[in-house]
Amino acid sequence: MTGPIPIRLPDGDRAIATRGIAKRFGRQVALRDLTLDVPLGAVYLLVGPNGAGKSTSLKVLLDLVRADDGTAEVFGLDVRTDAPAVRANIGYVPERHDWGYGWMRVGRLLEYHAAYYPTWDRAYAARLTELFELSLDRRLRKLSKGQARRVHLVMALAHRPALLLLDEPTDGLDPVMRDEVLGVLAQHLTESPTTVLLSTHHPTEVETIADHIGVLRDGELRAQVPLATLGRHLRRYRTEVPEGWSSPATLDGAVLRRVVTQREIQWTVWGEEPEIMRQLTSSGVVVRESAPLSLHEATLALLDPRG
Amino acid sequence: MLIAIDTHDPRPIYVQIMDEIRRAIVLGTLARDEPLPSVRQLAVELRVNPNTVSQAYRELERQGIVRVRRGQGTFVLDPRLDGAERAAMARDVARRALRDAHRHGLGADELIDAIGAAAADHHPTEGTS
Repeated sequence: MTGPIPIRLPDGDRAIATRGIAKRFGRQVALRDLTLDVPLGAVYLLVGPNGAGKSTSLKVLLDLVRADDGTAEVFGLDVRTDAPAVRANIGYVPERHDWGYGWMRVGRLLEYHAAYYPTWDRAYAARLTELFELSLDRRLRKLSKGQARRVHLVMALAHRPALLLLDEPTDGLDPVMRDEVLGVLAQHLTESPTTVLLSTHHPTEVETIADHIGVLRDGELRAQVPLATLGRHLRRYRTEVPEGWSSPATLDGAVLRRVVTQREIQWTVWGEEPEIMRQLTSSGVVVRESAPLSLHEATLALLDPRG
Repeated sequence: MLIAIDTHDPRPIYVQIMDEIRRAIVLGTLARDEPLPSVRQLAVELRVNPNTVSQAYRELERQGIVRVRRGQGTFVLDPRLDGAERAAMARDVARRALRDAHRHGLGADELIDAIGAAAADHHPTEGTS
């Protein structure tokens, strides 16, 4: 790969900025040189396979995991030295729900949680509890995975924090509830200025509310771009190849994939479309189609280990 | 007004929203001086980022199709859209059809002939609505 695929966003106001974060667990490398740029007000999808380092990244921002190296800032505050101030500004939905106090009832948990947040919006919490079909007298240990996720969403949203860290928020939700959660997030964004960092291995479930994406593999970013840029620059070109044609020496873009069938070559290329078209055409092929990849295809192409 | 978006569609979501609103205006479902749904309403309904809806509305305003009245909402500006806008919509449909034709190795002339033939076969009922 001859890489012009951006892994840094252009300068601007950041909600989150990490530089060179590295983390090992024993011999296992979780993160290496992670540089996250989450713009203020963005809805940023952090995607990647299981074990790519998504959850660890979020935990570093909460200082639940200490990085071995590098720096991380949330709203300009160092997550290590200013951890309490940073956390006060964050609503977090963890990937796993280890309550540790399973006897407690949902209503009690919410009251307990509310006491920590001066900005807790009681009416909003009640509305969310109802929308998410949660019963307040249920004990935490009796909650299904999806119900637990919704309880955490109420806890994260109802104090209207400036930053939401959502770790697989739609995991375990049925399609109807997933849709409900997306509606709630869309509405939340119109009511409160919020930056969202959302990790998922199912980006297509949440892509309509997102505007940025970071693709993580083996603890490293493979791409970090606005979604609009991804749609414009990562494209598939279907070309027809004349007999005896030989491939152009260079394409001025990053070729992520090249699928050759009898008389046709499909290129998945990152680059400026007119320029790629020009180069393909001048190499003697006929371009039959140039189309953006779906987010699913784009993610797969960017995660391709051959890349 | 019914707006549908499709994440499999190669058009970006804000463009799909713009196209759907244009279509509603041309079809008469949205008349002059009628308000568009609020940004919040449409964002929640479509489950999209509110900024995406704002972007679509801003772009429509830039094109002189709607006007944002502060604190009141976004309104359809001018039914002059009719002629020009129908033509623009037809061009969009044509471009999409042409792209599809190219994919199948067909040229523009073949496509035009085929559309002519298909239209001749097609007998729409009298007074289509």
